[in-house]
Amino acid sequence: MKQLLNQKPIILLISALLIGALLILPLVVTNPSLMQIFILIILYAYFTSTWNFVGGFAGVLPLGHSAFIGIGAYTSTVLFQTYGISPWFGMLVGGLLAALVGIIIGLPTLKLRGAYFALATIAVGEGLRVLVENVKEVGPFKLNGPSGISLPLTESAFMNFQFDSKAPYYYIILIMLLIVLLLTYFMMNSKVGYYLAAGGEEPEAAEALGIKVARYKLIAMLVSCFLAALGGTFYAQLMLYIYPKSILGLDLSFEIAFIALIGGRGTILGPVLGALLLRPVSDLTRIYLGSSLPGLHLVIFGLVLIVVMRYYPKGLVEPVKQLLERFIHKPARDKANNQSNPSSRQE
Amino acid sequence: MALLEVKNLTKKFSGLIAVNEVSMSVEEGQIVGVIGPNGAGKTTLFNCIAGAFPPSSGSILFDGQEIAGKKPYEICQAGITRTFQVVKPFASKSVLYNTVVGAFATTPHLHEAEAKAIEVLKFLDLYDKKEIISKSLTLPERKKLELARALATEPKLLLLDEVMAGLRPSEVTEMLPIIRKINESGVTIVIVEHIMQAIMNLSEQIYVISFGKKIAEGDPHKVVADEEVIKAYLGDEYVATQH
Repeated sequence: MKQLLNQKPIILLISALLIGALLILPLVVTNPSLMQIFILIILYAYFTSTWNFVGGFAGVLPLGHSAFIGIGAYTSTVLFQTYGISPWFGMLVGGLLAALVGIIIGLPTLKLRGAYFALATIAVGEGLRVLVENVKEVGPFKLNGPSGISLPLTESAFMNFQFDSKAPYYYIILIMLLIVLLLTYFMMNSKVGYYLAAGGEEPEAAEALGIKVARYKLIAMLVSCFLAALGGTFYAQLMLYIYPKSILGLDLSFEIAFIALIGGRGTILGPVLGALLLRPVSDLTRIYLGSSLPGLHLVIFGLVLIVVMRYYPKGLVEPVKQLLERFIHKPARDKANNQSNPSSRQE
Repeated sequence: MALLEVKNLTKKFSGLIAVNEVSMSVEEGQIVGVIGPNGAGKTTLFNCIAGAFPPSSGSILFDGQEIAGKKPYEICQAGITRTFQVVKPFASKSVLYNTVVGAFATTPHLHEAEAKAIEVLKFLDLYDKKEIISKSLTLPERKKLELARALATEPKLLLLDEVMAGLRPSEVTEMLPIIRKINESGVTIVIVEHIMQAIMNLSEQIYVISFGKKIAEGDPHKVVADEEVIKAYLGDEYVATQH
């Protein structure tokens, strides 16, 4: 906490203003479709931030995170549908289940490097989607294969995780995002963060310095999968309808990875920036071109990714930061120049 | 009792015997050199001690404990830290960050690790470079960073794998006092090196390895006069012409 408050006052002020503005946004924006777009931006920033624990810090590129989001969404949904268990509790169960699956998958795959890890995670993600599409029911739980599950509608209440207006959804996901960003911050400034970065960059050197690289990567995987699944439950409650292609498919996994890579993986604000830039693109193409050119947003993302990787391989967060810094420091520097100029003239 | 006691260590790679029944012992506070022609098995011996490969047979006692076959991170935690011949900095991170990673071996708290790292960087004259991203360092600086990171783990025994390889003669002469300074601060050192000037200058005791076998050991001046050693380095004819 001390470190957090040790930042420059101007940065603290800007963040406080930003968070304040985000908190009063629902009071200003009343249009539910517009609110939905904002909620989705925050949700994708959340998804990408959870992805960031593995993809940003552990030095690998996961391309199957939809599996864990899907596990979260399906777990809370079937528990609610079958037993009427509150989705809040289902969220937790889904998170734990996803963390468990994450460890089982992480144990063999996190040893793989580069493209091999990416390929393995694609296989897991797609495998799970195909599996769910072909399963009508598991024990008492109805999954309904490819047609998916419509959540039973209930009255608008906190315990049911269903609300008439968009504002509660907005606040819930905003708080979830802020918590994940704080977690990311604390992790980056702790032993775990340093060890993850070291193990991701030079595993042999890291081991020689006493780091059990595999264990730290597993910790990252566990945290990432748990948190991603919580987001999955939120998605299910927001949409009230889930089907394998929407929440388990490669599209979602790729979109998360695109947002991270374009925004800046391994940074705190990269996922937020990426979501802010890319989500509107995907919403607008879906609204206006969804029927004629479905999936166009991924093509656009691909093009943007190529350009960004060519000029800013670390993502857009770096140039944006520099721009902001120039903006913040410029008045101070001008003042300094004005003060030094008269004295030089006197000499 | 010796700090490091290697007994009859053998490492085979599918038929090739890289290290053959080598024994050595290192007393606390010593600088011990390991030399030998290219491909003699020096680095393999090193890798076995540091845990990069499990030895095929033999034993390695450190501080009285058997460490043969343990993982690199366990061996580091036991008190042996190595550097790499081909330096491996965390390239996208600053010099300070690199050193803090090492210092986390001694404490779980960031501010303590940072204090330790800064102490080590000052000790090695790298403090002014602490904010520089390590991939933009020069080679001698990278070698020093490799030392800094290793020292930050507070090892009892430091294994240096050709820290001077690739350096210019003037840079080698700069490096020698640094290594001696590290030793004087209480760290026992085993050093593998090609540069004879360096190793003759530093070591109290030298082991010579050729084709995986130990062919000589002892005082540096005695060792370089040894017939077997001259043969290994220069060939049979040179021994003949000396007589």
